[in-house]
Amino acid sequence: MEDRTDGRNANQLRPLGCSRTILNRAHGSARWSQGNTIVLAAVYGPKAGTKKGENPEKASFEVIWKPKTGQIGKQEREYEMILKRTLQSICLVNVHPNTTTSVIVQVVGDDGSLLPCAINASCAALVDAGIPMKHLAVSISCGLMEEGSIILDLTKSEEEKLKAFAYLVFPNSPLSVIDKVHSSKEEPIEHGIITSVSYGAMPVSGYFDCLERGRAASAAISEFLRRSLQKQSSEDASRAAQ
Amino acid sequence: MEQRWANTSRLTINEKQFIEEALRSEIRVDGRRLYDYRRLTIKFGREDGSSEVQLGETHVMAFVTGQLMQPYRDRPNEGTLAIFTEFSPMADPSFEPGRPGEAAIELGRVIDRGLRESRAVDMESLCVVAGKSVWAIRVDLHIIDNGGNLIDAANIAALSALSTFRRPECSVGGDDNQEIIVHDPEVRDPIPLTIHHFPIAVTFAFFHEGNTLVIDPHYKEEAVSGVRMTVTVNSNGDVCAIQKAGGEGILSGDVMRCLRIASLKASEMTTKIKAAVETYNAEVALKKVKRHPSLIAQKITVPDVEMKEASFQKTKELSADMENSPNQTSTSLTTTKDRDTNASIGRPLNWDPYSSSAPAIVSSSTLPELVGTSKDANEDQMMQTDEEYDPNLKKDQIGSATGVSSGIHKQNSPPKSLKDAVKPKHKRKKNAERGAR
Repeated sequence: MEDRTDGRNANQLRPLGCSRTILNRAHGSARWSQGNTIVLAAVYGPKAGTKKGENPEKASFEVIWKPKTGQIGKQEREYEMILKRTLQSICLVNVHPNTTTSVIVQVVGDDGSLLPCAINASCAALVDAGIPMKHLAVSISCGLMEEGSIILDLTKSEEEKLKAFAYLVFPNSPLSVIDKVHSSKEEPIEHGIITSVSYGAMPVSGYFDCLERGRAASAAISEFLRRSLQKQSSEDASRAAQ
Repeated sequence: MEQRWANTSRLTINEKQFIEEALRSEIRVDGRRLYDYRRLTIKFGREDGSSEVQLGETHVMAFVTGQLMQPYRDRPNEGTLAIFTEFSPMADPSFEPGRPGEAAIELGRVIDRGLRESRAVDMESLCVVAGKSVWAIRVDLHIIDNGGNLIDAANIAALSALSTFRRPECSVGGDDNQEIIVHDPEVRDPIPLTIHHFPIAVTFAFFHEGNTLVIDPHYKEEAVSGVRMTVTVNSNGDVCAIQKAGGEGILSGDVMRCLRIASLKASEMTTKIKAAVETYNAEVALKKVKRHPSLIAQKITVPDVEMKEASFQKTKELSADMENSPNQTSTSLTTTKDRDTNASIGRPLNWDPYSSSAPAIVSSSTLPELVGTSKDANEDQMMQTDEEYDPNLKKDQIGSATGVSSGIHKQNSPPKSLKDAVKPKHKRKKNAERGAR
């Protein structure tokens, strides 16, 4: 197996960082960093009214993606759409019908795995804003090397060199007060997959390997997410009133 | 969209009256005096030319990038400086995405006049080949949080980012002496911009028909006041720009008073910015010195304090991965054990579900630069890597290489120094907790 440029092995993630409530005006905000990829996400909402074309019986989401420099192009629009669909599937859209929640994503640093980082940041920002959700989403990037091995959490240079890689988003299981009675027939919730974006051509077995590896890694990330969210939860006052 | 208007936060009449009444007795909403600035924090990003400024609740980020381009026809031997402002919708619920509004354009123009037209940045040194190729510097300002007084904060962000921006060195050469060679930042140090003076913008807000004026208005004070004026001065006492757009008239005596106050504030602000830039440059220089492993011998303790988070991770990972080497068996095992039981935030997840089957991989790409540590396992790998010796270290490996070299050097000295490598973990844990807060 080839060695990665920054010294990690195949299953190692870059150092994760998460901080919440960094902005004063926004209702919820979070900053997520994976190595040198840093994303800032802010949430405003729910605001009254939905845009034309959206279903007024459900809450709608609006995502605005701001790149670090340069014009907004097709790549940013694609990210906005993927992020919007992902967030719509994890939030409870029937609680506040006819409202719009805006999620604004600002790229602070880009060293690969930008979309997974943004999804993680938006999820943390939604929690900070108190938007009702079914469960959290954790996202990871997996790359497929030529000999069929999988590497996790790609940097920009790895993304450019690899033939195929995928961004995957998994749900993380909700903690419940009631002890779950596990029926053996039920598949655990983590086996679902919310979003998958793949680049390049990969064989089917390779894709399933990516899924497996990514799913296992998402457990570690959701552990980290839960811990960092729980740390700050006690002192927060409601921001929506301001 | 009309429905969007309902979402903007507007001040209640009570709040407006309270702010005005309090100002009659020179009391401001956040307890400041009339001519006090809020707390200023300037932070720099990992790349050159990126800064993050917090002025009280206002939060602005600036990114500076440079490109080689053709110059303007009427100025063939000068570079160009362009300022782009983004009022991000995350700053204020009333900021809409899309076309910049009046306030955004005004802010961009005021900063542009202050920086470019006052010739604060030297343009002629950006020329490479007259008439053909010059450096075009682009400053992107992102307003992240609107706590009031965006112009001042954005100006400080732009100045700090320009002060820390480094452009790659380029020379003219080639066959016909017309080709431009841009040198890699690792081969030749990139060059900073020449900044002649620091134009500082100071914004005043007027209340009670011009009788009361405050500096650095909060966003609630801005909503209450009818008149605002921005004065851009530098510490030499030159007035670079004045902007007063509309609103009630101000007496000329008051304008002169504002200019005098502004020049005082400008010199204070200039010292603060220069101090922050100096600290950042010193850190960067220190990191560059650590590039050469031969100098590590004298600087064992310094890397403990100054290493950034990323390099700490590499030290830990590689010190654990050194299980292959003959010298350390027990010490490295303890570090692995410590890491597994420790559940601090932000640490690298060296987790491997297939750990029984997959071997621990020693990274070879960072090791070749080390002198004095001979590991036979890595000798072969050293031959295979294409990297040259020192100069071609990739920037993102600098941190890791220095972390590695300092870590491995410690492992070769008596065992007590390995504890020094382990101890900084607590410092880093505090940093991670601070970061996670």
